[in-house]
Amino acid sequence: MAVYRRTSRPRFTLLLLVLTAITLLTLDERSNGLGIVDGARDGAQDLFAPVKSAADSVFRPVTDFFDGALHYGQVTAENDRLREQLAERESAMLQAADAAREREALLDLAGLDFVGDIPTVAARVVMTPASGFDLTLSIDRGRDAGVARGMPVVSGGGLVGQVIDVSRTRSTVRLLTDASSNVGVRLATTGETGVAAGRGAGSTLRMDLVDPVTKVDKGETVVTSGLQNSVYPPGIPVGKVVAATTATGALQQDVTIEPTVDLPRVTFVKVLQWSPAR
Amino acid sequence: MTSRVRLSLVLLVALTLHQSLFVTLRVDDAHPQVMLLVAVVGGLLAGAERGALIGFAAGLLADLFVQTPLGLSALTFALVGFVVGSLQAGIVHTAWWIGPVTALLASFAGVVLYGVLGAIIGQAHFVSPRLLLVAAGAGVMNAVLALPVVRAMSWALDSRPAGAYAR
Repeated sequence: MAVYRRTSRPRFTLLLLVLTAITLLTLDERSNGLGIVDGARDGAQDLFAPVKSAADSVFRPVTDFFDGALHYGQVTAENDRLREQLAERESAMLQAADAAREREALLDLAGLDFVGDIPTVAARVVMTPASGFDLTLSIDRGRDAGVARGMPVVSGGGLVGQVIDVSRTRSTVRLLTDASSNVGVRLATTGETGVAAGRGAGSTLRMDLVDPVTKVDKGETVVTSGLQNSVYPPGIPVGKVVAATTATGALQQDVTIEPTVDLPRVTFVKVLQWSPAR
Repeated sequence: MTSRVRLSLVLLVALTLHQSLFVTLRVDDAHPQVMLLVAVVGGLLAGAERGALIGFAAGLLADLFVQTPLGLSALTFALVGFVVGSLQAGIVHTAWWIGPVTALLASFAGVVLYGVLGAIIGQAHFVSPRLLLVAAGAGVMNAVLALPVVRAMSWALDSRPAGAYAR
């Protein structure tokens, strides 16, 4: 009997833990962003926020060092690219007056002045994706700053994602590359609309529903469509076309988009206080 | 200080380090999974039952700070802690390299299990060709971190001399 107890108790404990975990998974699935599960997450994040801020300050030199070491090639390439950009900008400034007028006109025409008069909340990214399965960012603004679920999030380059969870002082943003992300988009040149779907970490976006006869050029800008009931306002840059192919007999093109924002390295964002009901 | 208080302290420190430091040490989407490592070492030092309990607690803490289904990490880490704890009975407890090697293998298996369980509950995108790369990366990084974690957990559990696995 004693032997039986020794061998069965760990299994019984494991069974209880598995059942508890399954209950939590079910509650999470059924709560759909509301209820006790999200309340627990929000509470934990609020409670942990001061500790994390302090730890971030302590570890920033270490993380910066490793970031530089682990991405040395990328940093060097980025440095070269920035130098090149700086030289281009200096050159462009010499042609300022006419070029600026022309650029403004083009931007207006293409609808790329994407923020417009929409109120915004500036925020700092405090946590990059915590696992390869979870393409979300945490930002240091929450309900207290006027952030709400569903609000679009942008950075200087364009669309970053959408707020999916808000606590008092923090918000979670689902990146547009997340496999569950779908964004209504249009090609800036032709106006052809479609849906840009995420494909997971390190991946590009796939634009669906593009007619096979539509001419899609490499490098073409893709912006949010803002069609009725869209969760994003129109004209936010999403990415650039890197490839467009049509398989024989296919009903749509296979269009691949690279996000305009360097999502893994974004540090500051703006939350657009916008909802489809506006 | 009781073992439970020390264990809670170790879990909180591990969570803080994970959130502030280890998630940034990313190589091609792989980074150390220190909460999973705590589960692995818990099983290694404390056996199947406590390993499962420690894994569940570590996983639940981790779940609170990601947007993946709540309970998925708890379930995975509890299973990993239990399996490691069940297997550790047959291990000679004096070799220093047992901690890193166990961390390497169990972390790899844990990340793969997480992806598979996620796919089973509807997160189909968790399973991709990249999963094995991410799991391998996490396994290697966890192996590097295994010795200090074994020391910390030995102190927390007060069940085994720190030098048994970590010299």
